[in-house]
This record gives sequence, structure tokens and C-alpha cells, in this order.
Amino acid sequence: MLEVHLDSWLREFGPHGNEKMAADSVGHLIDALEQKYPRLRFKLRDETGALRRYVRVFVNGEDVSGTTGVATGLSGSETIDILHSIAGG
Amino acid sequence: MAKNGNVRVLLGTRKGTYIVEGDAARRKWKVGPAAHEGSEVYHVVADPRKPGDLYAAVNNGFWGPMVQRSRNWGRTWQEVATPLTPIKKDRTPMFNDENPTAPVPRPLNNLWHIEPALADEPEALYLGADPHLLFRTSDRGASWEPIESINNHPGKKDWSPGAGGHCLHTILIDPRDSDRMYIGLSAVGTFRTEDGGKTWIPRNKGVMTPFLPDKYPETGQCVHHVAMDAGDPDTFYRQDHGGMYVSHDRMDHWTRIGKPLGDDFGFCVASPASAPGLAYFVRLDGMARVTGDGYFQVYEWNDKNRKWRKLLGPKDFPGHFGVQREGIATDNLRPHGIYVGTTTGQLFVSANGGNKWSQVPFQFPGIHSVSVANPE
Repeated sequence: MLEVHLDSWLREFGPHGNEKMAADSVGHLIDALEQKYPRLRFKLRDETGALRRYVRVFVNGEDVSGTTGVATGLSGSETIDILHSIAGG
Repeated sequence: MAKNGNVRVLLGTRKGTYIVEGDAARRKWKVGPAAHEGSEVYHVVADPRKPGDLYAAVNNGFWGPMVQRSRNWGRTWQEVATPLTPIKKDRTPMFNDENPTAPVPRPLNNLWHIEPALADEPEALYLGADPHLLFRTSDRGASWEPIESINNHPGKKDWSPGAGGHCLHTILIDPRDSDRMYIGLSAVGTFRTEDGGKTWIPRNKGVMTPFLPDKYPETGQCVHHVAMDAGDPDTFYRQDHGGMYVSHDRMDHWTRIGKPLGDDFGFCVASPASAPGLAYFVRLDGMARVTGDGYFQVYEWNDKNRKWRKLLGPKDFPGHFGVQREGIATDNLRPHGIYVGTTTGQLFVSANGGNKWSQVPFQFPGIHSVSVANPE
């Protein structure tokens, strides 16, 4: 199972802690999260499927947001961290 | 719509929503509640058909756009459905110079304007968004249907953004006939429908485009905002990139009225329900996009005698103030109140039709929008 860590801001939209989930890609993992927590829909991705600008997805500590993104393949045992950048002003 | 005769001024700001309540004389002001902290709120509106219901166009930099609704004058808010860009394989492409026939998926960007429908459609609202999108809900925001005649308009491939993006920012409904509506899009112009949104015709005749080779095209005008005259729904006041205009024939023809002011650039316009024939504009320097000459300036257009009245002088509020397209509103009291919010967070108020002005003693974040919930 994947171990999924969501930052505290995302808990406003449903998940109240870390999650154990199964998925074969980052995109499918987000699909599963949205299925379980409908209020997460369109918060991590827009309706074209692209990650939102300030969302960062780390797979075993590596930021894949700007590289393979939602297409990143998963074997099923990774640790996934989904965070928001600190930004604004 | 406050039962105690109070007026509520609803502010959308760079950092959230503010409800500002004033007494009937509009002398004393109480700020709060605030909501949507940290989010860009482009518009907040009260639903006149259901006192206490507010809608906010919340654009969160992290989580994207959201429609939020309050049922208790802003004390608590809940997210309702957010409309989505119609991503279709056969969608008319917007921009793809290398392959003009390839569809270009473009997500919903910012929400710009929420307009409650007329009283005979108590559950309906319209929503304008970027990129040049119009939606309608028939269930108070539980779901939204795209108005495809605009969202997939055949001319859309030629529609360019203004500095604020591809915003659809003005939605006006003829109070005599809900099938007749008007919309304003940057930098495209104004359109009218006579059939409830099935078809739209551009209505920009007479509005100059100083930034295009063709000075009077059918579309391409960068309309900034339009107000309907409450006493004559065939009359409209328009603040365009190219100046200040009036139309007396449902936007079939526009006449420039701002030339006597010199630089008649600006973003906002409002016309009070209790004083038909008047319209208020905040004149800005066309280059700097703040009030020119070093002081805050509001002008009153009297459409009956076709004259301008300057409401403020250099000593009233010195400084360079920015005011955005939703930055002015009027109430329906007599004498009518005028409210102007600035991009640096001042809220200026006149409780007597512009004769005397004061500032609400609170420093807000930069103000995007001002609207009014009138007393019942």
C-alpha cells in the first residue's frame, strides 16, 4: 500500500490524517483521494487534470510535480507527500 | 435588506470578504464579519430575493476558484459547486498558432461576477468567469450549466484577454424580460441576447478601440464595466478602455460622453436605483491607472441635462488611488449612497448623492469589489 501524507491545509477538504491507498500512478492516486473525499476535487488538479500551480507531490521524497507529474508511475509501496508551497503576499 | 434599516456594504478584497454594516444614516460603520481569509475575492453579492443569502466569487491561489454561499449575512460560509470549463474534444480552440485546429484545454481560471436572476426565477443565478465563460445555476449553486452559446462562441478564437485576463465581468438582466440580457467581456466588448442566452449579438457600435488598427470594429473593445439605468432599462452607462459612454437603445449605439473630462479612462461605473438618470465614474489616469492629478476623483453624469458634476476636489482625499471594475456601488436610499473601494483598501462613502464624502475608519486589504445589500 502507498502511504500518503497530506498537509494540514488539505485536511480542510476531508482527510484528517495520513492515508493508506492503492494506485499505480500519481494521477490514479489523486483519483482515489477525490473519490473518497469529494471536496478534494479540483483542489489539487484543475479540470484538465493538471496539478495546480502551488501543489507539490513528492514520491519517496522526490518532487515529481514539475517533471512526470500526474503520470508518475507507482509500484505501490512508496511514501507520497502532497504539500502546498508557501507562497503569497 | 437588513431589517433594522441598516445598509450592508459587501467587499471582495485581495485577502477575503468583508461585511461592513452602516446605520440608516450611513454615518456609523461596523466592520465584520470577515471570511475567506487569504483568498482573492473578486465579487460578493447579496441575493435580493432571499435576505441573508450572500454569494462570493472566491479565487484561492492554492485551491483554485470556488463559489461560496452564506445563508446568514456572512457569519458562516459554505462552498457550493464550482462550474467547470467545458473541456470537449471538439471545442473551438482558443490559441494554438502552430496547430490552429487542435483543441486547447483551458481550465477555469478566476470567477469574476455573480448575478442573481429576477424574482420570477428565485433559484437562478448567473456567473461570469475567465476564460470568457458564462454559467447559470437553477438551484442556488448546487450545480451549474454552461451557456454554450458564449462558452463555445464561434468568434472566440479571436478573443484576446485584457490585463485582468479573459474575464466575463458584467451580467445585466432586463427587469422587464429575463430573456433579454447583456454581458461584458474583456477585451471583447458587450453582447446582448433576446432569447435567454441562446444567441448573442455584439453591441459595441460607436465604441472606439484606440489600441487596434481598426478603430471601430464589431468586437475587440475592452469594456471595463457597464451599469443599467434603474429607471430606464434601455439606457446603459459604460466605462470602456476607450472612454466613458452612454447608450439609450439597448446598446445598439454608444455615444462617448467622457471627452469633456479630458482623460476619461477608468474601470468602474454605477447608477443608483433611487436616482435614475445619474451615473458615477471614477476617473483614472489612463497610463498610471490611478486617480490623476494627485487626488481622488468621482464624477457624476446627469443623463437628463447631459452634464458632468465633479464631486471631489484636490483637498478632499489627496493621493493616487486605484479603483477596479467592481469598485463602486450605490444603494437604493434617498438620498442615495455611493461607495467606492480602492486597491489600497480605503472605502469612501457619500450618504447624500455625492455632496459630502467620508472614509470608513478601517484599513481593508486591497478592494476588488463593492456591492450593497439595501435595507428592507
